[in-house]
Amino acid sequence: MRMRMRLKAAAAVVLCLHCLGVYLFTRGFLLTRTELSAFSLPSDLLQAQAPCCSESDLPSTTDQDLPGWTPPTVDRVLILIVDALRFDFVAPSSLFETKQKWMDRLSSLQHLASTHPSSSRIFKAIADPPTTSLQRLKALTTGGLPTFIDVGNSFAAPAIHEDNWIHQLLHTGRRLVMMGDDTWTQLFPHHFNHSYPYPSFNVKDLHTVDNGVAHHLVPWLHRQDWDVLIGHFLGVDHAGHIFGVDSQPMVQKLEQINAILQNVTDIMNSQKHLENTMLIVMGDHAQTLNGDHGGGTSEEVETCLFAWMPRSLPSSISSIFHPSTCGLGLNGKNICTSTMQQLDFAVSISALLGIPFPFGSIGRVNPELYALSPGSWDRQWLPASFYEDPSSDLKTWKNNYAHVLCINSWQVKRYIDSYSATSVMGFPSDDLHYITKLYNEAQSRWSDSKNSSCKPENDTIDEFSDFLLSFATLARSAWTEFDLKLMGVGLGIFIISIMFHLFVFERVHSLSNVYDNKTQKSSNHLQIYVAFLLVAVRAVSFLSNSYILAEGRVANFLLATTAIGSIRSSLVYGKIKKHDLVFLILIILIRFGIEKGMSKQAATNPFLNYDSGSDFDLKWLPSLFEGHDFVTLLPEISPMIILFLLSFLSCKYITCTVHSRYIKWVVTVGTMLSYSFIATFWLSERSFAPKMVYVIGLSLFVLNFVLRYLGILEKGETVQRLRSLALVMVSAWSPTILILLGKQGPFVVLVCSIAGWSIISSKNKGLLDDCKMDPISVMQWSLLAICLFYQTGHWCTFDGLRYGAAFIGFDEFKVVRQAILLFVDTFGISHILPIFSLPFLVTIPNSSSSKGRDKTVIFLNLTQVYLLYGLITAITTTFTVLCVAIQRRHLMVWGLFAPKYVFDAIGLLLTDVLICVSALYYC
Amino acid sequence: MRKAEIGATTALAVHSLCAAGLATGYWLSHSLYSSSLITDPAPTLRILTVCEAPVVILLFSWLRRDHDRCSFIKAVARGLIGLPIGALINAFGAIVLGAPVGLKFWPATIYWSMLLSLFTFVPAACVFGASKLDWQQILSYSKPSNIVDYMLSVPAHGAIIGAWLGAWPMPLDWERPWQEWPICVTYGAIAGHLIGMLFSPVLIFLHRRHIRTKTE
Repeated sequence: MRMRMRLKAAAAVVLCLHCLGVYLFTRGFLLTRTELSAFSLPSDLLQAQAPCCSESDLPSTTDQDLPGWTPPTVDRVLILIVDALRFDFVAPSSLFETKQKWMDRLSSLQHLASTHPSSSRIFKAIADPPTTSLQRLKALTTGGLPTFIDVGNSFAAPAIHEDNWIHQLLHTGRRLVMMGDDTWTQLFPHHFNHSYPYPSFNVKDLHTVDNGVAHHLVPWLHRQDWDVLIGHFLGVDHAGHIFGVDSQPMVQKLEQINAILQNVTDIMNSQKHLENTMLIVMGDHAQTLNGDHGGGTSEEVETCLFAWMPRSLPSSISSIFHPSTCGLGLNGKNICTSTMQQLDFAVSISALLGIPFPFGSIGRVNPELYALSPGSWDRQWLPASFYEDPSSDLKTWKNNYAHVLCINSWQVKRYIDSYSATSVMGFPSDDLHYITKLYNEAQSRWSDSKNSSCKPENDTIDEFSDFLLSFATLARSAWTEFDLKLMGVGLGIFIISIMFHLFVFERVHSLSNVYDNKTQKSSNHLQIYVAFLLVAVRAVSFLSNSYILAEGRVANFLLATTAIGSIRSSLVYGKIKKHDLVFLILIILIRFGIEKGMSKQAATNPFLNYDSGSDFDLKWLPSLFEGHDFVTLLPEISPMIILFLLSFLSCKYITCTVHSRYIKWVVTVGTMLSYSFIATFWLSERSFAPKMVYVIGLSLFVLNFVLRYLGILEKGETVQRLRSLALVMVSAWSPTILILLGKQGPFVVLVCSIAGWSIISSKNKGLLDDCKMDPISVMQWSLLAICLFYQTGHWCTFDGLRYGAAFIGFDEFKVVRQAILLFVDTFGISHILPIFSLPFLVTIPNSSSSKGRDKTVIFLNLTQVYLLYGLITAITTTFTVLCVAIQRRHLMVWGLFAPKYVFDAIGLLLTDVLICVSALYYC
Repeated sequence: MRKAEIGATTALAVHSLCAAGLATGYWLSHSLYSSSLITDPAPTLRILTVCEAPVVILLFSWLRRDHDRCSFIKAVARGLIGLPIGALINAFGAIVLGAPVGLKFWPATIYWSMLLSLFTFVPAACVFGASKLDWQQILSYSKPSNIVDYMLSVPAHGAIIGAWLGAWPMPLDWERPWQEWPICVTYGAIAGHLIGMLFSPVLIFLHRRHIRTKTE
């Protein structure tokens, strides 16, 4: 009895430790942010009675034609995005210690900056990590800070569901044109009046996108039917990825961009309709000297933003602002640069164009960028009563800007309030109080200044800025910074749990050696070392992103290695058995399944260059059989035949294994019914059939537990009883999992049961006692489970979930129900079935020595098997956690490592729970 | 008996002849056909196989186990039969481990498995023929009674382990041409085989000393 308690207690402790570790690590690593689906409306300012403007304050230009919050200050905006634009590509080389060959290549921008210091500006734009194009574009348009889990409506589609200025432009009737990187059309599928997308994922292609943009850009500049034009060049990013920054292709690329920009500025200077157009040349992120980006180092986040207006301003803007970094340009004139946050871009451009600020934007209207537009110096903004005496231009501008900032602060405060009300994980309440206090102070000063005659604009501007900057800091710490302490503690708990696991395993192992005769001790130790060596190889392979992508193939490779190893030892100790060869054939079959899954994955995953065509050039095969009906019928019929075979086999096995007559009858009828319902569903698509399958599965599962505790299943010898228990459990689950897997189900279940049978029969090789635990078999069992996960078309990203499976038997969507079905589909074949069927490993049918064995020894072995299985999963998952922690600044951290972590963490917790359930059920 | 005469030096000589065969093949493919393993693997592997096959078969037939009952010609014939059988087994093993099976890979796979068969199966086939007991013995090292056993088993295991290790760089995203099947696996196999051939004389030397001390 003590033995039985041991597994339950150990499993429970391990489960608790893992829960704690996963929780802590996740809190530190997976930054979450809830996407709010609210959109800003032009009428919001009036309806919400925002403190910034009473009705009389509203500018007179805000009529039905141009609904916005602020009057537009520019007519058009031309945004040219140069992907991975480093700051030192644009800024004069005199600002840096040494002049490198990639510097000063964009001379047309430097020329503008030096000759028109009042109407142009070079900014050092600081991006927020993750510095990958998709996340950056999302941030640039929404004004938020995208994180790994933007909890929103959809995981799979990249389209933006949050409010953004593209959406606002569309709804205020502006005309948008896009050319270049096709990520834009993925993010905004229906927003552009004209778009010229070019594929972005072929990194080796330096020119297609850029030439395409250059080809379409000039004709559009001569046209007048656009308001915002976005051109996105990719060549600099691709040149960096392939050749690095310090290379001739990069210099050539920069010179090509420079020529395009020179052409654009010439046209803008000459065309009358482009007079009040702002040209913005910017990078979405920067790059390291090797061309990498994605992380948060200064090389990757310090990109550039250049803004220029052909129309000149009333007075020099440099008089307002603090002195900035200046250096000599190419022509010997001084060029000054300032610093801005990329976070501020969305709201600044909204203010310039006079559209409602995006709902989720948390940036501040950048004063220097705003001041570049001549419109912001006009006195159209405030009612004439506000200015009794004609004041200086500067004073007007400050009033205008303070007003914009007031609306800006009101919009951010509104976002904070609705975010705190709805999000999963809000902000710390202390910080919220502080922020609210800042906001109230600023607002009260603003209303004071409006009522009183003195107008301390500087103070108002400072207080609003203070509020906005404080909130941006708070949001940054919540959404972009890993909490390394929590991550470290989580990892530490994982390691402690492994120590504990090892300790318990060693204790049980030595205990079982006491019961056994000690002659085979050494060989068993050798097997344990081999098993752990395999675990170590697999675990270390997670350090590289390539092996994570190819995890299915790696598991298959290791499984094949163990199979070949076991054939070798069969050769040494006698003849090759037939199950060894069957196992090899099955491994080949599984491998084809995995490769098919990978080719599916390659279609959606830009990182995976899997050449699917190479392995499956069997296209000539159908043409051989053209005109024969059976080829077209084969995919239809074969699942049915295999299903029939499976039901026959399982019923036969149940009748000869389960001894209690009553149970035998119930389980057989349940299984037969389930299989016939599955067949009905496939033939007729009736939705009641899957529901019946789920009901039968669930009731069998519950019934098993009830009967188990009533003691009805207690009959028979220990080995037989254990086997029938396991069999009943597996047959309760398998029809549900089978129907969720779809038509591949019967084939997969057949493969998995034959493979399981081969592993069971090939274990031991007569070296050991039949009921003794064999570490290699447990290892094979676990590798087989991983292979099955990949073979059934899953992979470790969210688009690897088979969403279709959630709707088998149901048409409408309910979160909990569909999530459960999706969960069972994802983890059924790789976790639920393998773990519930582990007792088969210690209870081999028809073995002579298993009869009349000591009950304690069998349970000791079962405990060992479960402990070892849990240990293998725990070690690999701990390595995943470690690798994720090491690679947290990797380019693919959000695309690859983080999803892998999520899947492994859920898999580990599920494994622990299932081991607990098994301990309750079997022991 | 000739068996007794085989010492570490003979083993070294045999192994260096085998290595010379490989080197000749590599040199031939380089200079005559200007093809390397990376640019066109299948023809290079073919040249390597053609150069290595006679060397291995002749040398190991000369070392055959039962000199009295089995003539030199018969041993050579066994080696010739063993070549395709071993290639079949090796190719099957490679496919189980994940080698691609597309039509365009067939020539490379065939020549690669021939080469591996020369490293592993053919020498043993020449020496033992179909004697089951000998095969088991060489696989298990349970009784390393014979020097030839070392010469067969150590380089063969080296080749297999080298090929296994050579497969690991294949999934990496370095996009180098040598990551294609079967190039890096071939490099691994050749490297493992060479290391095994260097190692086996050492083992033989130690083994002989062990026996000598035992008898004394």
